[in-house]
Amino acid sequence: MPSAGEMKQRIEATLPGARAEVDDCTGGGDHFRAHVAYSGFAGRSRLEQHRIVYEIFGDEIGGPIHALSLKTSTH
Amino acid sequence: MSSTPTNSIRDAIASAISDHEVILFMKGTPDAPACGFSARTVAALQALDAPFAAVDVLPDARIRQELSSLSNWPTIPQLFVRGELIGGCDIVIEMYESGELAQTLGIEQPPAPAPTEAAGPAGSQAGSRFAPVENRLG
Repeated sequence: MPSAGEMKQRIEATLPGARAEVDDCTGGGDHFRAHVAYSGFAGRSRLEQHRIVYEIFGDEIGGPIHALSLKTSTH
Repeated sequence: MSSTPTNSIRDAIASAISDHEVILFMKGTPDAPACGFSARTVAALQALDAPFAAVDVLPDARIRQELSSLSNWPTIPQLFVRGELIGGCDIVIEMYESGELAQTLGIEQPPAPAPTEAAGPAGSQAGSRFAPVENRLG
């Protein structure tokens, strides 16, 4: 089960130059909220931006990560 | 013709999406959402008075599995409008707040409830507005 800190690291390691803030909403390690700022989001729809983040975690979303609430921005 | 149950679930999902202009795949039902994210998404649609079809994904785990592989979206809820995935709870709420959701649905966003016009000159009813109903029996 990933921690908020690990999730932040994975997002920032996968998306060059991205800044991520990840909160564990309940403290239970399965409901997270993330704000991801990434210049690579520019020109992409919100749907695509969220997909880019979801894809980092693959099958973990819906598995150990029950929920990942997202807010994305380009800077 | 589908030969396996899994394919028929996928086919049923695909036709549900194409048959309904607005369709929400959710946990639970609009009257009894089984998850906060589904509840918030339903609330946004209802706040716009938007008619929508709803599918509960909980009765069979394969619904969710097939839906996610079809839509390339990992979480529930998922809102589709005219056959296209709009997004999950976060996106729907953001779009509701910005007015984009109403636009996408082709409906007018009801104005935020505004105070009704005062019947008399401003302030004339001050003091009487919340006057309690009293029984003066003395």
